[in-house]
Amino acid sequence: MTKKNYITAALSLALAVAIMVYTGMNFLAARDLPWPEQGPSVTDIKLLSDWFPGLKDTNGDTWVYVLQGQKPGGKMLVLGGTHANEVSGYMSAFTFIETAVVEEGTVYVIPYTNHSAMTHNDPGEGNLQYFTLQTKSGARTFRYGSRATNPVDQWPDPDVYVHFPSGQQLSGSETRNINRGYPGREDGNLTEKMAYGVASLIRAENIDLTFDLHEASPEYPVINATVVHQNAIDIGSEGCMNLLLQGIDMALEQSPINFHGLTHRELGDHTETLAILMETANASQGRLRGATTLNQVLGGWDDCYVVSQKLNMLYVPWDENGHPIEERCGRHLQGIYEYSQAFNNAHPDTPIVYSGVPSYAELFTNADPATLGGAHLGSFLM
Amino acid sequence: MITLIYRLILALIIGLVGWNLFTEKKLTMQLNCAMVMIPLVLRVLMVK
Repeated sequence: MTKKNYITAALSLALAVAIMVYTGMNFLAARDLPWPEQGPSVTDIKLLSDWFPGLKDTNGDTWVYVLQGQKPGGKMLVLGGTHANEVSGYMSAFTFIETAVVEEGTVYVIPYTNHSAMTHNDPGEGNLQYFTLQTKSGARTFRYGSRATNPVDQWPDPDVYVHFPSGQQLSGSETRNINRGYPGREDGNLTEKMAYGVASLIRAENIDLTFDLHEASPEYPVINATVVHQNAIDIGSEGCMNLLLQGIDMALEQSPINFHGLTHRELGDHTETLAILMETANASQGRLRGATTLNQVLGGWDDCYVVSQKLNMLYVPWDENGHPIEERCGRHLQGIYEYSQAFNNAHPDTPIVYSGVPSYAELFTNADPATLGGAHLGSFLM
Repeated sequence: MITLIYRLILALIIGLVGWNLFTEKKLTMQLNCAMVMIPLVLRVLMVK
């Protein structure tokens, strides 16, 4: 080997090391997550490992915000960030924590249910890593994560994922999807442990009502919809009718009995909680979308979906106005309110009463259209 | 245990690619070796 070759090899290696350091720092920074500010009713912030110690010191452990009312009452759990790329799920959780004034009962909110999934993203999808909103305290940056647990934390995926305890078989990658892992397993993989942690919290705290907040691609039939366990069908029906009366298009579906691993099936089967899951429309998750951009993620604006709508290829109406984040968070937050009201009507001795959380009208229909797409949502955050 | 074995295999491959980097005479192949090392090193360190 000549001296010249040695020098070029050393320079190539130096270039590679520089890229390793730069990208490595970027990936490591993704593990430092932004968390909600403490709203007026936050009385305690605990870790999920307080209910299931098997999560302690893992990337699956996550903060649980406890909002305790002045009077005793029912107990409600809100799960945001089950899928860390479904923005309105965790942004609704942030908004609830930072605005809710709980008067009766206790509300538990987990902003990042799959904490590990929030620490990476899907670069192959062209997804964002971060987005920034102007809030009351200035600019705040939020993460955009992945649907599944970080493979650094859970590896390798099996060829076939076998759900515990049903034995249902799914694609191997679903082994990192927490919403296929319920009710979880104490000695399972990290995703199953996270699911077990949520179920442990529900059992230990006697949670009456559980909400799981999601988004779906516009080509997916279960969209602008609520899916409820059969035990919650009465509350779901009443709440859904009230949403429809307010002009919020919401479908109601009963959880399929033979589709296992999801919150609306397993938490209802394996705990005493009334399990409810809601879906809104997120353009950035769809296969027919154009380039993934901030405007698409927060505004739901995408020309490809306008064309797709004209071709009748979507399960949700789409036009140039898109589906901004305010509409999507408004649906979730108004849904939580209406279903909890229905719960209160059925359980007047143990109500869950809160105020202060922006309604669908405040977030979306009454808003200046020019502020939709993130700016208006940010105005409610601390 | 499987992760430890995986990382040992990765470390071995990084060593071999590094050896190739310094024995290769063509600049394009040297650059190729250097680029191949990037994801392998990030993986062996469990960064990505």
